Formats: sequence, C-alpha cells, structure tokens
Amino acid sequence: MTVLLEVDDLTVGFPTEDGLVQAVRGVSYQVSRGDSVGIVGESGSGKSVTSLAVMGLLPRNARVSGSVRFLGEELLGRSDEQMSKVRGSKIAMIFQDPLTSLNPVYTVGSQIAEAVRAHKDVTRQQAMKRAVDLLDVVGIPNPSLRVNSYPHEMSGGMRQRVVIAIAMANDPELIIADEPTTALDVTVQAQVLEALEAARKETGAALMLITHDLGVIAGHTDRVNVMYAGKLVETGTVDEIFYGPRMPYTLGLLGSLPRIDESGRPRLTPITGSPPSLLNLPAGCPFRPRCPKARDLCAEVEPELTPTADRRHLAACHFHSELASATAEEVFS
Amino acid sequence: MNPIISVRGLVKHFPVRSRGILRRQIGDVHAVCDVDFDIYPHETLGLVGESGCGKTTTGRLLLNLVPATAGTINFQGRDIVPLSRAQMRPLRREMQIVFQDPYASLDPRMTVHEVIAEPLRIHGLYRRETVRDLLTTVGLDASHGNRYAHEFSGGQRQRIGVARALALRPKVLVLDEPVSALDVSIQAGVVNLLEDLQDELGLSYLFISHDLSVVRHIADRVAVMYLGRIVEIAPVEELFQRAAHPYTQALISAIPVPDPRKERSRRRIILAGDVPSPVDPPSGCRFRTRCPKFAGQLSEDERTKCAEEVPALTDHGEGHQTACHYAEALALI
Repeated sequence: MTVLLEVDDLTVGFPTEDGLVQAVRGVSYQVSRGDSVGIVGESGSGKSVTSLAVMGLLPRNARVSGSVRFLGEELLGRSDEQMSKVRGSKIAMIFQDPLTSLNPVYTVGSQIAEAVRAHKDVTRQQAMKRAVDLLDVVGIPNPSLRVNSYPHEMSGGMRQRVVIAIAMANDPELIIADEPTTALDVTVQAQVLEALEAARKETGAALMLITHDLGVIAGHTDRVNVMYAGKLVETGTVDEIFYGPRMPYTLGLLGSLPRIDESGRPRLTPITGSPPSLLNLPAGCPFRPRCPKARDLCAEVEPELTPTADRRHLAACHFHSELASATAEEVFS
Repeated sequence: MNPIISVRGLVKHFPVRSRGILRRQIGDVHAVCDVDFDIYPHETLGLVGESGCGKTTTGRLLLNLVPATAGTINFQGRDIVPLSRAQMRPLRREMQIVFQDPYASLDPRMTVHEVIAEPLRIHGLYRRETVRDLLTTVGLDASHGNRYAHEFSGGQRQRIGVARALALRPKVLVLDEPVSALDVSIQAGVVNLLEDLQDELGLSYLFISHDLSVVRHIADRVAVMYLGRIVEIAPVEELFQRAAHPYTQALISAIPVPDPRKERSRRRIILAGDVPSPVDPPSGCRFRTRCPKFAGQLSEDERTKCAEEVPALTDHGEGHQTACHYAEALALI
C-alpha cells in the first residue's frame, strides 16, 4: 500500500512566560492510502496539535521540528502559499465547531463552490451543480434548495455535513477530522458519522479521526494511535488496542468507561491523579505518577514505543509483556 | 415505599417576546410539558435527552429555582410550587444541586473552605470541622481548604461542587450533567464517588445527562425526554434491553460502543431531520416528524392518530411506561 502521510519525530513546543510547553514530543506514524486511523487521547494530550502541524495551521510562535511528508513531499517549513495548494485539495480538514469553519455571510452553496473553484478550473454553474451533488452525498434533504441557505439557517448537524461536503469537494486523498462530532447530540452524531463514511466511500480518501470518544474510534477506524502527554504511547489495529492493550494508560482508559452494553453495573476503575503539566515534565515515563505498575526504572528512563506480540502493535511501557491478558480491574484496584 | 418527590403535570413555558420597545409576548417556548415522575428514597432517576429537550429546566423546576407554569411538586407531603423564596429556604437544606461546569460554578475569589462553608453559614450550621470532613468525604485532602478553585483540576472541582451540595445533608440531589465536562479517566472517579455517597448517606438523585452510557451505569430508573415530554420511563435494565419508544430506540442505537466487533455489526437507526422548534411543537405526538415508524411502517389511519392524539404514558408492566400509540419493544445492544 502506498504511504500517504508520513510523520516522523514531530515535535511541537509553545514558548510561554513560564517556559516551553512541550505539546508534542517526537511523534511518528504513517497513514496509507485508504486507511482509517484514529488518534485518541484526553484533553491536552497533543492530539489536535499534531494534526494542526500536519496541515501547517499552527500559530506562528510554535516551534516545530521533525518531518511531515505527504506522498514523499516535505510539508513542514512550507510557506502558507505553498501549503494552500495541498490544503483543501489533497488534504481536507474538518473541525469540531462547524459554525466557526463556515462564513456566516455566504450561502453554503457558494462556500462549497468556492472550495471547488479554488483548485479546479470550472465555471460557477458547474461548481454550484457539484455543490448540490455533494450536499446530496452527505445526506442533506432537498439539496437543490438547501444550497441557497445560510449557515445560521441550519442546525449544528447540518452545518457539520456542509463542512464534510466542502472537505470532499476536491476528492482529497486524506481527510483529517478533529473531534467532528463532539459538539453534537448522539442522534445527530450518528447522522454526521454516516455522512463522513459516505464521503470516504465517494472519494476513497484515507481518514485521520481525532477524538476522545473510544466508541467512535471502535466503529470507524482500522488502526488506533493512543496519545498521552504529547507522545504516542500505544499503536496497533483497533482490535489489538481494544481487546489486548499493552500500555497501562490504554487499559485504564478502557476500564474507566461506563458501557451501554453491560448490565449489572460493574464498578468503574478510574485512573487516579491527572495528566502531567507539559511545562516541566519529570524524567522517566510521563504516566508513572498515575501508574500502579510503576517501578524504579520508570522514574529514570522514558520508555520508547516497542513491538509487543505483533510487530505492528507497539507500546511505550517497560513492562508491556506483563499486561498481556490483564484486566483494568486487576491493574488499577 | 412512598416516593420522596412526586411530580404531576409539571409545565414550564418561557415567553417569547417581540423585538422593539413594546416587547409584546408573541409566543411560548414549551420547555417542559405535562411531566409526571416520582423519585423514591435512595434511588437514582436518570433523566436523559438531547439538547433542548427540557431536562435541565425540569431539574431546576424540581428545586423551585424557576417557577413552574402549572403542576405540582410534592416533597415530603407538601406542594412546593406555590412557596415563596423565604418559605423555600428551610427546604433548601433538603434539596441541593450540582452543576455541569465545574469552572463556572465555583466563586474564583473564595477559598475552597469558604465555598463549602457558605451554605452552612447561611443556615447557621458552620463548624470548621464539618468543612474538613466534607473535603475528606469527597476524596480531597482536608488541608486543601485554603486553596482557590483555579488551583484544582476539573475532576477535583467537581468534587468540591459535590462537597458544597452535601454540606447541609440533603435528601435529594439534582445532578445536572455532573461528569459531562470531564475526561473519561477522571469521570469514572466522580461517578464512583457519587455511587459511594448514595450508599453511605441514603441520598436520592435526579441524574440529568445526555450520556446514556453513564446513565445506564448509575441509574435505577430512567426517564427519556423529547421536546419537553417524557416519552418513556422504565427501570434501567428494562429500558436498555426492551426500549419500546421509537425515539429511545434511535437514541440507544446511536450510542457508539467501545467494542470494535460489536460496533461493526450493530444495527443503527438514523433519524431524519432535526428537532422541531419548541415554540411551535408538532400536534399529537411530538416525535412524529422524525419518527422512523411513522414514516415507514404506519398506515394512513394510524398516522392520523399520531397527528391528532397526544400519546399518554401507558404502563406495559414492570413499571415500564411508554408514550407511543404503537410501542413495540426492541433489543438494540
């Protein structure tokens, strides 16, 4: 399979008055053509910053190093002008809040048409026709009427579907969706996720889905990257991550989830403490203060991602072999 | 057993006023419409629904924080709806509320000790020791009392909110989305705390949430709201295994399950359209405009009934009540 996106040792820091906030610390991963990769982590784990770095959308004061290659071409360090050739045509992005990604004074049709015309040489009428088709794909009823609506005339779920339509306007190779359904109600979330699947089918694009919702990850991705304190701490297929996690954090995350498919209310196993400040990270494993398995080695050496049972299932834990077939309850209580 | 709170025919309309200087009343938002439910001692009633369905307003009505338009709320043998603020004050000791946003609900200029002491001082019950005990009860360090709210993480702040609500030893606690703003690993700890406190102190909870997974975990009975009305109410297992209202069914089927194999094979009911405006709700059954059953399975005559007759909550045994003319139990998980 062709490698589409190759992120290598990506590091992002933000200088503040108190020092450098190390938001992303040496993240490497690949997305192949047609893949669906989930990035999961809690607030402040660096999952959004990673994708903003890929799109070249970080604020100017960010210090970025490492490498982001798209189809073999380096994206880091490109000027805004060079980046906009890729953005919206080869790579499209969907953000959490559709209201801030849409322009309130233009109809949604003209905004989709604008995206089409930015990268393709077509007439206005052709672009508008494509806009109607795209709205139909994402499941908006009466698309030929709805192209003339303004964003404020639509509900949150419809707006997000318009954003998905804009994202697929130029048949991108990769769609990056950053918490695309977090602001939405569950029945609307189901509609939007269906629209996203329709968009993928139509364009054949790979998907990078960033979310804190493990349920959404379970249903819509093939591979999963788990982030904690700016690093990838586990990566593997969706089944490996959900059925045989090898990093205590992943195990704890799954154990702390209340499940709608479980009766008899088994007690949840929370992870004690809270994530470390990215300002002054202590030496060793960043998860050590919250990890019941931590030993002396963990305080001294930060573990690297190493292969577990499977060559492509990696975990950043010195003692990942001990976690084979362990349950969250055994480890955390 | 007698219920601790009995709500009958509860209605809340908010006026919609015209723009300009006259601000004539031009309509009503039907926020809560003819709601009946009971809460028993030592019981958790989950109240679920999507944004704008009236669940938060119901919680506030229960505490008489907003005056009801009609209906009765019987608490300890007395209707509290007509009571004045002064008459409510002694009752406030018995009923307390915990809000969703732990960042907005605590006064930033007060130390945590003062935040928790405030309700005690109002009722003339302040003792230094009580506050320290409360901090320990909710799993915080008693010595943290002299810190300010901003020095705590989200999960810790929510614990402070709970400590404050518990200060007067209430019998009923309204929990309005108490864990929705928290990351999952933190959320589990607060959920466990709420369960422990209920066991220790024999509290009754009205647990308002949009997250059905948490509700399944914590609630004994669940009420589902749609556009101001309760459409289904049942014991928790009964509701999740044999949901009979088409809206509840769609809601349950839309929740993503953090289990890839299950998630890939699940049946999903996708609702069409959006929630209608509560200013002008549909006649008859309020859900009919989005109901998959109404759209796909019912005959013309059957639909007329949906449009003309408001379905009443009817008992199907086991305390399972559904407000649908054509209710039919369905297993979805």
